[in-house]
Amino acid sequence: MSHPRAYQLGFGIAVSVFFLLVPFLLPEIGIHLAIEVLIYALFAVSFNILFGYCGMLPFGHAAFFGAGGYAVALILKNFPGTPLLLAFLLAALLALGIGAFIGFFCVRLSGAYFSLISIASQMFLFAVALKWRSVTSGDDGMTFARPELHLPILGEISMRDVVNIYYFTLTVVAVAILVCYLFLKTPLGNSFVSIREQERRASFLGYNVYLTKLAAFSASSILAGVAGGLFAFFQAFVGTSFIDLNMSMSVVVMTVIGGKAYFLGPVLGSAFYIVFQDWMSSLTNYWMIVVGITFIVIVLYAEGGLISLLKNERVRLWASRLNK
Amino acid sequence: MSFPFEIYVIQATHGVVYGMLLFLVASGLTLVFGMMGVLNLAHASFYMLGAYFAYSVTLYSGNFWLSLLISPLIVGTIGILVERFLLRKTYKIGHTAELLLTFGLFFVFGELVRIVWGTIPFSIPVPTLFAGDVPFMGRTYPIYRFFILGFSLLLLLGMALMLMRTRIGIIIRSAVSDAEMVGALGTNVPIVFLGVFGGGAALAAIAGVIAAPFLSIYLGMGGDVLIDCFVVIVVGGFGSLPGALIASLMIGELQSFGILWIPRLALVFQFLLMAIVLIIKPTGLFGEKE
Repeated sequence: MSHPRAYQLGFGIAVSVFFLLVPFLLPEIGIHLAIEVLIYALFAVSFNILFGYCGMLPFGHAAFFGAGGYAVALILKNFPGTPLLLAFLLAALLALGIGAFIGFFCVRLSGAYFSLISIASQMFLFAVALKWRSVTSGDDGMTFARPELHLPILGEISMRDVVNIYYFTLTVVAVAILVCYLFLKTPLGNSFVSIREQERRASFLGYNVYLTKLAAFSASSILAGVAGGLFAFFQAFVGTSFIDLNMSMSVVVMTVIGGKAYFLGPVLGSAFYIVFQDWMSSLTNYWMIVVGITFIVIVLYAEGGLISLLKNERVRLWASRLNK
Repeated sequence: MSFPFEIYVIQATHGVVYGMLLFLVASGLTLVFGMMGVLNLAHASFYMLGAYFAYSVTLYSGNFWLSLLISPLIVGTIGILVERFLLRKTYKIGHTAELLLTFGLFFVFGELVRIVWGTIPFSIPVPTLFAGDVPFMGRTYPIYRFFILGFSLLLLLGMALMLMRTRIGIIIRSAVSDAEMVGALGTNVPIVFLGVFGGGAALAAIAGVIAAPFLSIYLGMGGDVLIDCFVVIVVGGFGSLPGALIASLMIGELQSFGILWIPRLALVFQFLLMAIVLIIKPTGLFGEKE
């Protein structure tokens, strides 16, 4: 306990090794779960840029997840020859475009107003996805074939194999989360926190609050778009469930349960949510209510979420005593 | 695209009926927001619970009117319990926690309804007193919709009288404009707020009960009305009852004529309206508070 850095480093290495070895440790169904955990982790981290760092609560964040998903699906379906990474790049750009456009109007608003216009824009895009049948196939959704991944040294990698999909997802998510982490360490990233804490003071100090929030919103939409693209790619399918209210809700639940105050809180939340859902739904039909009650208890009594329980010295002490 | 004149009138009447129902739900939501700044997402659950309790009471007693009495009472009590024992804890933590809590409650109520009543949609028969159609503009129109119209107008009148002509009404209106000052003047604002919260829940439940015979009772009904209510309180202005009334009617008409003219885009219109109002005048048409 006297070396928190060493403790963190050890923990980080253990988690990384675990994720690298997942295909050898877990059966195929476990690999599927791990892929979902990774994708939702990225989605929740993107959500937490706004929620945890900027103090804005977007209730309609699935708008960008869905935009990314539809972009990847439409590109791979209509232009089958497109290189995979190019499709993801275009999806990220589309999410950025939509995010910057929506953000342009809505980051001016704060509190409940912001949450509401976030829902409104998500519902608007949902309605477009549902009604623009000639492009999106409405509520039937679209299936498409996963192309191979061409890499300079490794050559062609088939994306039929779930292990390859896993490593592809792991790479994309790890890079995206690392970039996001470094981004939040920059002066711009720090100014998000200062705006969350004291918006007026930050603006007196010379920060352009509007542009800073817009930057956060755009960055968050890019990551959400990449996550949505990955999910569409993983499922080889996209449908209105990518962009509906449930998707927006689940990312709120994951982030709050995991803990918004730490960078990796949402990752823990996503892991908890997906694994718990899988475990409970095999036992009972009513796992959602357990999640809902956990959520309420955390909102009321443990604002920092699960990760703050892990970080709590007293809990650690208690855990170490149990181990003896 | 042109339709005979009476179609317009009938469509407009549909719009007014739905608008009035929406107003019953939205009025509680907007008052609660005006008083305490709490955007209660669970409010739509009260509407849904109202309809489901109406189903059960009607099923066991065979009497729709009994359910119109009992269901709002149960739901109003639930509302009071929610405010007293859950929501009140969050005022110290901040607005985000309030939003999150009511969001969690919306989630939990939805699941509870799924556990208790299952996923199959229900319908309850129109009460015999108002069953059937009447001739209207050369066509026929269900009497029950006129009943909804009349009943909600009656409630609106009652609410207006209470707010404008009674002492408690003055307290509520002044608490909407400045709750802290009203408290400083010696009024027990938490109790008043508890009452408004419970009353709003009961009103939402009434809307759920009277909507039950003509819209079916299904799991997503809370979410559907929630989205419409958001549009209403944003367009009308947070905390403004006249605003909520006018915005409800606007949304009712917009949906009704939207479906008539451009069915494909009917869903999109209201979000456009909401976005435009938020961008141009974030306080809504009648709101004063930021």
